[in-house]
Amino acid sequence: MRMGRVINGSIAGVALLGALYVGLVATGPVPPLGRLLDPAHGVWAAARVAELPREQSLRLEGLSAPVDVRFDDRGVPHIFAKTELDAARALGWVHARDRLFQMELTARKVSGTLSEVAGPPLLSTDRQSRERGLAHAAEQRWAALPQDSPTRAVVTAYIEGINQWVRDAGEADLPVEYKLLGVSPRIFQAQDVYYLLGEMSQTLAWQSEELQRGAIEQLIGVAATEALFPRNAPIQEPIEPVAGRTAPRFAAVDFPAPQLPDARAVAAAKRMDATRVRVSSGPTLDDATRTAGDLTRGEAVVGSNNWAVAPARSASGHALLSGDPHLQLTLPSIWYEAHVVVEGQSDVYGVSLPLSPIIPIGFNRDVAWTATNTGADVMDFYRETVDDSTSPTRYRVDGEWRGLAQRVEVFHGKLGEVLATDTLRNTHRGPLMRTPDGWLSMRWTALEPSDEPTAYLKAIRAKTAEEWYAAMDGYKAPAQNYLVADRSGTIGIRSTGRFPVRPGDGRGDRIFDGSTSASDWIGDWPVAKYPQALRPAQGYLASNNQQPLDPAVRPEYLGWDWPTPWRAMRINEILRGDAAMTPEKMRLAQTDPTSVLTARVLGAVRAALTARDAQVTAADRDALAFLEAWDERFDVESKGPVLYEALLAEITRRTWDELAEPGQSARMATPNSMMLVRLFDEPASVWWDDRSTTDVAETRDAILHASLRGAWERVRTERGNDPAAWRWGDLRQANIRHLLQLPGFGRESLEVQAGPGTLSPSDGRGMNGASWRFVVELGDSVTAWGTYPGGQSGNPVSSRYTDRLELWRKGELSPLRLPRTAADLSGAALSSALVLSPYPEGAR
Amino acid sequence: MKRAIWFVGIVAAIATCTWVVGWWMVPVVAGIYGFVRRGDAATPLLAGLAGLVAWGVLLAFSAAGAPAGSVSDAVGRAMRVGPGPLMALTLIYPALLAASAAALVKALVRPTAGAQS
Repeated sequence: MRMGRVINGSIAGVALLGALYVGLVATGPVPPLGRLLDPAHGVWAAARVAELPREQSLRLEGLSAPVDVRFDDRGVPHIFAKTELDAARALGWVHARDRLFQMELTARKVSGTLSEVAGPPLLSTDRQSRERGLAHAAEQRWAALPQDSPTRAVVTAYIEGINQWVRDAGEADLPVEYKLLGVSPRIFQAQDVYYLLGEMSQTLAWQSEELQRGAIEQLIGVAATEALFPRNAPIQEPIEPVAGRTAPRFAAVDFPAPQLPDARAVAAAKRMDATRVRVSSGPTLDDATRTAGDLTRGEAVVGSNNWAVAPARSASGHALLSGDPHLQLTLPSIWYEAHVVVEGQSDVYGVSLPLSPIIPIGFNRDVAWTATNTGADVMDFYRETVDDSTSPTRYRVDGEWRGLAQRVEVFHGKLGEVLATDTLRNTHRGPLMRTPDGWLSMRWTALEPSDEPTAYLKAIRAKTAEEWYAAMDGYKAPAQNYLVADRSGTIGIRSTGRFPVRPGDGRGDRIFDGSTSASDWIGDWPVAKYPQALRPAQGYLASNNQQPLDPAVRPEYLGWDWPTPWRAMRINEILRGDAAMTPEKMRLAQTDPTSVLTARVLGAVRAALTARDAQVTAADRDALAFLEAWDERFDVESKGPVLYEALLAEITRRTWDELAEPGQSARMATPNSMMLVRLFDEPASVWWDDRSTTDVAETRDAILHASLRGAWERVRTERGNDPAAWRWGDLRQANIRHLLQLPGFGRESLEVQAGPGTLSPSDGRGMNGASWRFVVELGDSVTAWGTYPGGQSGNPVSSRYTDRLELWRKGELSPLRLPRTAADLSGAALSSALVLSPYPEGAR
Repeated sequence: MKRAIWFVGIVAAIATCTWVVGWWMVPVVAGIYGFVRRGDAATPLLAGLAGLVAWGVLLAFSAAGAPAGSVSDAVGRAMRVGPGPLMALTLIYPALLAASAAALVKALVRPTAGAQS
């Protein structure tokens, strides 16, 4: 009997200890189960806090007066406050309630502290982040802000609003991601707002392509590299309109023959590749660098658009503006829609970035604004001479040694343990990085003094386009093509940001000699010289990431390897051809399913088959007939794009084989399709030759013919012999992943109307796309429509997590509600009413 | 009858303590139950069942804000275990905590006369 009790007790004890252990301690990737599974406080509590309460009244520390926050039927908060600081505080609180984990992740990503919540697997990412210096620069920017600066007060109030939500939140209220990771929220700091802006620069203005360029030059020669990855786009439809021009300009392109590669020189040059640059005392940078650093930006990944028409070219006689910024698609969305009204001072509606109190894209009662990325070259690298190849303390400039600024960065794990310690060094130019061949320093506008929040906070009060631009004069990074329209009918565009002036020929597409100060930047473009236009005679403006200035008119160096002009050509074609634009036409253009590239490719293939009639088989004719029957639209039900895309890939592969190292199939870089189209005009160019056939020199027509045949065979093999069963929607899909890539929290395989060169391009992975689409009509009052992929809530089980996704997928927009007072939003239009009140004097 | 009353009481106690304090109250409450009802051979089994039922009730309550299926589906897939196993784990885990705690206490403490149901 006693023995039985001992055995039973032992078994029970072991079982209890085991259960308590997995309840309290993380085992591998599995967080502590007790907190996780607790139905009152763990992941299941996500259901309890999924929806907004119909009415809620709370105290908020630091308020000067009550703030009314009315959530409309789309989950958009309309914040009515008496002061700017109260509004910022309320916005911080609302951001925290709906998007806390997203903000945590952003702050940790930039500050290089992800391993504190995810452990050693993210240590290399953290080391890379800190080595790039964005967090350090953000902290310096915040510190440089005067104590009495209104921006400092707004940012502080905003962060306090976030922190009050964090402090008041119960375990059940916390986002489910915290529970899955087994961590608690951080207390946010004012510099986090600047971290976020650093993250935007990282996404939009990291331009390290020159590190790859050396290897390409060794592979095909300097002249050929200049031709294939040119400083100036050979097809010009610039952002700054050229007076009197009514069509794109096609510049002549010389395609020098590639040189025979020197394998050793190529290998040596490849070591300078951005992916191989090392932190001062850390690991090799990982492939994350490659995404932003690859040559040939944005055949599809880049895709932002904006355009506006003046009253003379709209049916209503009012200015119209369309915004369509493309970014990586994530859940929750990068944007959070908000309407902030400060009584008697400002009234702004638009998309905010959680972790900042600014509305970078939106409108007020008089002016609307939106942006595309400029993509200017604002980053340079310098080969430095240092006093010690492994642990330098000085670097040499103009024959004299200068001390390196050094700082020690310590990386912690989840339990506070030290994972690594790096010594980071800076020259007067910026961060110093180790490469296998020596040391490089980097200068980047995103790391230098600037104050974007002040510019944005001023701009939202503008009454005219001119006032808006004047407010943004101090804006530095990331450079954006800001399009503005106002109620007086003015439309304008300006590539806004800091553009460095370099010595010599002014180009920045090379690695500079760091041993001389003659390599340093010698100034910045004055604002008056920025690419821009105000009230253009043509009555419309557009930007689509293309080269902002036509070099035939303004040859100044602003960058190189510009994205393709197809989107710019298409929207300019639409706007030139229609003098009676409407908001509905603006909306339809955002997902216009045609591309000006298609006709050029098909025309060249058709001509090639005509010229090679004798060699054309019945199968070739079937393939061509199939393409001829296609209406050149990239709709989800279309069949033609299935073959067309394979054809384009075949042409690219067969044409640019010289860009693969001998014996390899993967290209080191690929010229964009603009270069391919220009090569169509050179039927006998040596670039058409297929290096794998030594007994024959292929011509353009032979390659285009072979590409059609190859594509037809490939698609039939992969998709079946019955073309009637092919569907573009089966191939081209958007895949919107959760910020942590958690499978249950993402939405994948969404069929979208998009194709190569269309205004809504989608890359093969479907992970980039329109992050926010909106149209504004600036009439007697402002009317607007918009949507983004996702929803306002960051809670994956909330009905507002993905409630806009289907609308977005179909290219439709919702009318945006613009109440002037809290009382204007009621009935079915109101989903939740929140009143935030100050604490009574003496309380708290 | 007495056993049934005890069972209902222990379900309520586990649910309330979990709600108010946290998950780790499950073995504490079950341990007390195991001590008080140490003379009943079914105590560990009933404690486990009470843990399961208590958390089941809490689950149902939590799911009032959004369908429980949506939580188990999303979170189950995020944890790469699937919705069914997540739900099962959430019910089995308190059962294991409660049963083992009650059994341990019952084994450690000498039963008293008259403690039978």
